[in-house]
Amino acid sequence: MAREYELSDDSVVVVIGSGAGGGTLANELAQKGIDAICLEAGPRLALSDLENDPGLMAGRLGWNDPRIGPGVWLCKTVGGTTVRWSGISPRIQPHEFKPATTYGLLNDTTLIDWPLSFDEIAPYYVRAEDRMGVTGTHGIPPSFETSNYKVLAAGGRAIGYSEITTERTAINSIARDGRPACTQIGFCHEGCRIGAKWSTLYSEIPKAEATDHFELRTEAMAVQINHDADGKVTGVVYVDADGVMHEQKARAVAVAGNVIETTRLLLNSNSSRFPAGLGNSSDQLGRNYMRHVSTMITAVMPGEVNYHKGTRQAGIILDEQHHRPERGFAGGYIIETSGSHPEGVAGAVGGWGQRVADYVEKFSQLSGVFVTGEDPPQADNRITLHPTERDQYGLAVPVLQYTLHPNSVTMQEHAIQQTTALYEAIGGTDIIASRGVDLTCHNMGVARMSALPEDGVTNAFGQVHNIDNLFISDGSVFSSSGAANPTLTIVALAIRQAEHIEARMNRGEL
Amino acid sequence: MGYSTTTRRRFLIAAIALSGTAGGIRVSRVWAQPTADLDDASLRTMADMVRRLFPHASISDEVYAQVIDSALSAAAGDNSLASALGEAEAAVNAVQATDFIDLDPDAQIRALQTIEETPFFAAIHSAVLVGVYNHPTIWELVGYGGPSFAQGGYLNRGAGEVDWLQEAD
Repeated sequence: MAREYELSDDSVVVVIGSGAGGGTLANELAQKGIDAICLEAGPRLALSDLENDPGLMAGRLGWNDPRIGPGVWLCKTVGGTTVRWSGISPRIQPHEFKPATTYGLLNDTTLIDWPLSFDEIAPYYVRAEDRMGVTGTHGIPPSFETSNYKVLAAGGRAIGYSEITTERTAINSIARDGRPACTQIGFCHEGCRIGAKWSTLYSEIPKAEATDHFELRTEAMAVQINHDADGKVTGVVYVDADGVMHEQKARAVAVAGNVIETTRLLLNSNSSRFPAGLGNSSDQLGRNYMRHVSTMITAVMPGEVNYHKGTRQAGIILDEQHHRPERGFAGGYIIETSGSHPEGVAGAVGGWGQRVADYVEKFSQLSGVFVTGEDPPQADNRITLHPTERDQYGLAVPVLQYTLHPNSVTMQEHAIQQTTALYEAIGGTDIIASRGVDLTCHNMGVARMSALPEDGVTNAFGQVHNIDNLFISDGSVFSSSGAANPTLTIVALAIRQAEHIEARMNRGEL
Repeated sequence: MGYSTTTRRRFLIAAIALSGTAGGIRVSRVWAQPTADLDDASLRTMADMVRRLFPHASISDEVYAQVIDSALSAAAGDNSLASALGEAEAAVNAVQATDFIDLDPDAQIRALQTIEETPFFAAIHSAVLVGVYNHPTIWELVGYGGPSFAQGGYLNRGAGEVDWLQEAD
């Protein structure tokens, strides 16, 4: 049975955010018998609220409060971005945990190695894959081969790729963990109406509620973390749905607001002791903001594909994820099936007139991919607070400053060139590709793990360097981006962090 | 200048009827409105503009007029789209001595090119792109199935079917 804790109860761990990081951490703690309160800024939706309507769901799921800078993919709802995500779950590769060592000096970057190795995280990847039901692991069959995947695979083989798979997806290929198998509805980004895709909304949160150690508070927007004279955090101030402010006392606090809101909360929690914000003694908080190198490529094929019929991101090509500097850039990228709807296609073509209309009329013949690649950290790719603009909570509006590194521009062009060759090899024509930064994004960095406190914000367990009982539990802690979609790694790190918190509590350190 | 009083009144009625709509920015289920009044010169001008923006030969004028109607309804309470349309109408009618609706298609395109850098054009473009490409008639034309949950998804309705791929071995 779900608990209701007193505001004055300072024995609880307060977890801010209910997505991949926060939802997982809170459930892990609750399963261990550690009392946890999860504060979620958004409302709780039922499966029946997840409609096959992109426009409607952008409003219903999205974090659409004022923000300055390139577009982001934040969700303000129980489950966070795990409601909207595609489900693709590759691991970060061993060499990607050591980018500074592997790539050497890259001009104008702030590359560091992670303070933990692949071998250290590997067991937690295994557990995360089990939790999430990742295809190709734990005896789970590969995902269904959609027509868009079959086209991608054929084109990939035609240009010599061999690492082509429908494994590595956290969408049930068979009924598992109380959730049904995917029925190829095709509206993954609108929230999976049947719950076949893993989301903390209907996986971790209900499991936590089934313990006697968890309370979820929805429409509870955290605005400040308080601390005592010794610099230990003591509680979280939040605004409820009626606009009333409360302070929940806490034994420890974990922040998982999907990078942008994590940064904003910590910067807003400044004090005379921490004038630049909590966790910002190194001036690294908000810096090294990474989004992945991405591009969307669409081709007109010689026959029907109907890429809307089925899972949007249903298979991947891993051949380009390796570090091969002879390609002219450091790091690698992953090619993933993707699709869209007529509105999206018209927007991707851009402009107006006959060309747009003719392209959309070929909708049934379209095939498409999304590319995600390693994005090196840069000190001035950062999130700050606007000096005067305020949102409906009276909080400073976040400002995102982000430019592509030359390495990323070269990688993006390489990916466009390769996928163009892939489609042309099997008869694709009229290929269009997006360039630049304004596409979707995976948020990472800003409170990165670092061996040396001056290089980052947190240690290898996501604990803020100079604050014993303050943790960061989302993609903010990534020391580097790797090429992989980040959710699996966020979940693995949250499982690992929960173990660390439990061990420290058992030792009387928390 | 601007669209006629009757058109304006009709838009306001539609806007009031839909003002409780969530989000207020885009609504994709408003196609059941009364048929657009194509006798209205303003509405015909706007419908023609939308056709030139996204020209699908087999789509009727009525559909393009519905897109205008729907976009205005979806913008309930926000007059910026209505004023953008008013500005656009005045501008395209002023390009030549002849009214926009009496120009041939190529001349209509040239008239639109004279305003394509304006803020009001951008506002209209994004609003009607949403309207045109979420219209069920367009979906049917291009072969897009739309919401599929109620039909049980595509697992047994064509998912994975591709008949033209030929690989060497």
